[in-house]
Amino acid sequence: MGFQAKRCGVQFNPPSIVLVYIHTDTNKIRKRIIPIRNFFKHSDCSTAAERLKNHPRHRGYLDQVPLHQLEKLHIVLRDHMQGLSLENSLASFQLDPDEDLNKLEDEELARKKGQMDTLFERNRKRKDDPDFVYDLEVEFDKSKEEKCSWDEESDEDI
Amino acid sequence: MADHIGCIPELDQKKYDAREQVKIICLGDSAVGKSKLMERFLMDEFRPQQLSTYALTLYKHTANVGNKTVAVDFWDTAGQERFQSMHPSYYHKAHACIMVFDVQRKITYKNLANWYKELREYRPEIPCCVVANKIDADLKVTQRSFSFAKKQGLPFYFVSAADGTNVVKMFREMINRAVDYKQNPSDFMDEVLEELENFDLEKKEENSEAEEDELKAESPELA
Ligand SMILES: Nc1nc2c(ncn2[C@@H]2O[C@H](COP(=O)(O)OP(=O)(O)O)[C@@H](O)[C@H]2O)c(=O)[nH]1
Ligand SMILES: [Mg+2]
Repeated sequence: MGFQAKRCGVQFNPPSIVLVYIHTDTNKIRKRIIPIRNFFKHSDCSTAAERLKNHPRHRGYLDQVPLHQLEKLHIVLRDHMQGLSLENSLASFQLDPDEDLNKLEDEELARKKGQMDTLFERNRKRKDDPDFVYDLEVEFDKSKEEKCSWDEESDEDI
Repeated sequence: MADHIGCIPELDQKKYDAREQVKIICLGDSAVGKSKLMERFLMDEFRPQQLSTYALTLYKHTANVGNKTVAVDFWDTAGQERFQSMHPSYYHKAHACIMVFDVQRKITYKNLANWYKELREYRPEIPCCVVANKIDADLKVTQRSFSFAKKQGLPFYFVSAADGTNVVKMFREMINRAVDYKQNPSDFMDEVLEELENFDLEKKEENSEAEEDELKAESPELA
């Protein structure tokens, strides 16, 4: 029995998480709609995501879906319950490189970090990876270094 | 005075005076990757102690430096960045500082100047370094020179908490520098404060004696 997750998304009515996957035995594409119960507008998204990931009926299908993605989908569902438009909800995950993240409240900051996690997880080397090196050292050739535009005279305050 | 600055009831900061104990602090904006760097360095040893009342996370580590075992406490913020400033107890008795920015966000680089200024108000001489994190996101940044570190005469590291590049090297070098600094401190801030404190006490005692003398001397006149 094998499932290869392809895409996932949400459905607002009733609140559900939708998973598109390939059934590896038959090579057929399937859609699974997982209703999200006991989840309300003040529920904690990371707890709910964890509960779903470990759910005995669904965990086989969700094995390849990272926890932070399930958490993000729960946030989108919850935003909808709180009356936020889908557009605004998704926009809140976007990263603006010029935004001062020091000013954000915990919840907003967690969203931004959640967004950063996609790249972090993709580039991450784990201890059980065959080419993992604990004290990886890389020297960068300083002779080819160019001046960084962040140091331009206009902002000489640094 | 020195100890009321460092006063966190759960934490006796006097322990950092012991020869085999060092305190290393992390500074930098929210989300630059300070905590991920700690996690990457500590791996299995990773057992943070949350002091949420103080928006503080502590990581304990044991290092071998030369032929000695040193207990290292890493101090990481858990939201104090919001105030763009740290409580003085954060800096108190620190032996080294790791300053981090995110190579994908210019503002975090620009803010280094503020973090560094505050650090030097409390700890004028402790070893410090500048860490450019997240180079995995765009390796081209390693072809650029970031002048802040050079201007301040600080060591500079290109690192990635995600793929591990130079993380362990940076931490090991900073632990060594913290231990070195501790053996040959070039700023006597804390020590001086403590001496001043004793000095004040002695002076007070002298004064009270003097006052008594004066009283005795005055009484006959009153009579
Ligand atoms: N691509 C990439 N992302 C990183 C790296 N280090 C941290 N991040 C991301 O940045 C986010 C914030 O990191 P965190 O350690 O919580 O930052 P802190 O607020 O400074 O402690 C994390 O959730 C990760 O997604 C890195 O080396 N590479
Ligand atoms: Mg942190």
